[in-house]
Amino acid sequence: MANPLTLLMPVVPNTAVTTLVTLIAKNQASIDAALTSIGTVHFARFLILDTSVANLQPTSTANNNLVLAVITEYDGDFDAYISDFVKQLGDVFNALLFYVVGAEPLIRVQDHLSEFQAFIKANDYSQMPGAPSLYGAYPYTVQTILADCGSDAATGAAS
Amino acid sequence: MDKPSIDYGDVQGTILRGYRVNLARHFILQITDAAEAKALVGSMVNGSPGVPQITTAARWTSKPDYFLNIGFTSAGLGELGVTPAQLKSFDPGFQRGATDPKTASTVFDVGESAPENWIGGLSDGNAVHVVLSLWVTEAEATLEQVTSVLRNLFKSAMKELSAHDAHALSDNRVHFNYRDNIAQPTIAGAPPRKHSIPDDQEVVATGEFLLGYQNEIGGQYSVQPAELSKNSSYSAFRILEQDVQGFEAFLTTYGKQAGIDPEMLAAKVCGRWRNGNPLELMPDKAGAPLPLSELNNFQYVSTDATKDDTLGLKCPIGSHIRRNNPRNEAVTGGGTSTNHRIVRRAMPYGPADDAKVPDDTPRGLIGHFINGSITNQFEFLMSQWVNTDTFLMSAKGTNCQGNAVRNISGEDVFLGVNAPSSSSFTLSACVNGSVKNTNIAGFRRLITTRGGAYCFLPSISGLKYLAIPAPVGS
Repeated sequence: MANPLTLLMPVVPNTAVTTLVTLIAKNQASIDAALTSIGTVHFARFLILDTSVANLQPTSTANNNLVLAVITEYDGDFDAYISDFVKQLGDVFNALLFYVVGAEPLIRVQDHLSEFQAFIKANDYSQMPGAPSLYGAYPYTVQTILADCGSDAATGAAS
Repeated sequence: MDKPSIDYGDVQGTILRGYRVNLARHFILQITDAAEAKALVGSMVNGSPGVPQITTAARWTSKPDYFLNIGFTSAGLGELGVTPAQLKSFDPGFQRGATDPKTASTVFDVGESAPENWIGGLSDGNAVHVVLSLWVTEAEATLEQVTSVLRNLFKSAMKELSAHDAHALSDNRVHFNYRDNIAQPTIAGAPPRKHSIPDDQEVVATGEFLLGYQNEIGGQYSVQPAELSKNSSYSAFRILEQDVQGFEAFLTTYGKQAGIDPEMLAAKVCGRWRNGNPLELMPDKAGAPLPLSELNNFQYVSTDATKDDTLGLKCPIGSHIRRNNPRNEAVTGGGTSTNHRIVRRAMPYGPADDAKVPDDTPRGLIGHFINGSITNQFEFLMSQWVNTDTFLMSAKGTNCQGNAVRNISGEDVFLGVNAPSSSSFTLSACVNGSVKNTNIAGFRRLITTRGGAYCFLPSISGLKYLAIPAPVGS
């Protein structure tokens, strides 16, 4: 069954929400391509949360008390594949970590692989002791689903 | 690909050069006197008369009678004064060590292969500090003479926990009777192999095997202190006992079950015939041994339908060589054939098996598996490709209906845990235009880990740094 990643990272004060939104949008295509290439991620999304607001939804002018979240469901061992993620998305991670509290020593992640791995573990809500479990409707991997739907590795698209 | 200029004289030889030798002896040592150990290490790199010197990767003008290289465990580096804070900068797997429970579960050293069963003092990882490896070109007399000198030198500094011998079998064979030592990664900037065995794969970044150079992810592996970093590497030292009679019985029993000749099954589980010819180039019969120029020159995936083997119809996707080096096959992680590679420096130990006179004499393979990151290379291979069957990307073939994802099961027949309740190997054939898989199941483990140690292989300048006496009062 898939595993959850719930990465919650405090954002450096006075970072505008629009800065993060723009950065993510600018890199979304390459992020999607990398996730398709890596082949173990079922779903992934970014959230930007405003901890000063009751429902955590930031306004377009928010620039403080922000948290950047990365939420995914993935197959297999995340730690084992960290070098593959960094190979494909290292520069995107560096760009985002620039705005994350305490992440400066990790940049460039390509040179700080094990520290980056430790940072993710420390900030992954799903690895917190007693964290709630993930419900999965099916036990299949991304690749067996694609195979059974008639897709191939080149595009991930159904034939 | 950048081809960096490497100071070969600063690199331990075995990292970049394969020694073609007949004999080897690996000493497992515990430091008993740190000051004496530092002095000994220094004497092995400063040309001290009468002291065997650590072999570098510099080109030799005439082949030496012997080669000597040295590795230290995390505990060993600690004995020589590397601080706990500095050790935290080393590869995470190396820090844990080979006997750590997380390591053992990661690489599947479980059951009979578990570290508590290891021989030669290797079961206590904290007590193992040094792996000193001696390779001898030809003569037993040289092996014994150099051993005698070394034992005299290290008796005041280190306790010998055990020594393990290896020797070449004829025709580069290993104990399951395959010709070995064919494929190694081509490393950017490394000296060319003496016997060129060209392959169709990309050159691998230097940093995958040497610290301080760019690696495949666009960074560098490094350690603190900086003096230990550039030109160093890591190895997983392994003693792997092979059940030769069990393997021959496996071939007979399961060849019959699968309806194929035992030698064909031997080829299918390996990916090469026992004479070294790859199934990709010789799918139907072994044939005469191919010349070196052709032996390794193949890929698994091709747009040419006559060559494409995406589905593993010629070379099973779960075969040993294909699992350990998927080449251009699509695997999860998105990597190419330059990712997660290792350099193999291992030789047979124990006498050749005689089927007519079966015995219980231990025999197998012993040596170093070298990489710039134990975690991302050796441990990745063992945990993701050897011991699982879920690392394939969905991929259709060009010459039969089917998908690669479905054409693999179980674990590597050679290296996997292979509990009889779950072991499985898939043979794929194209029948009436669609893949038909035959699974053989229920076989047991054929290779058991009898010992291991994660080693740091310092550069020559790193060894000189380690040799510096500790400050008085420290």
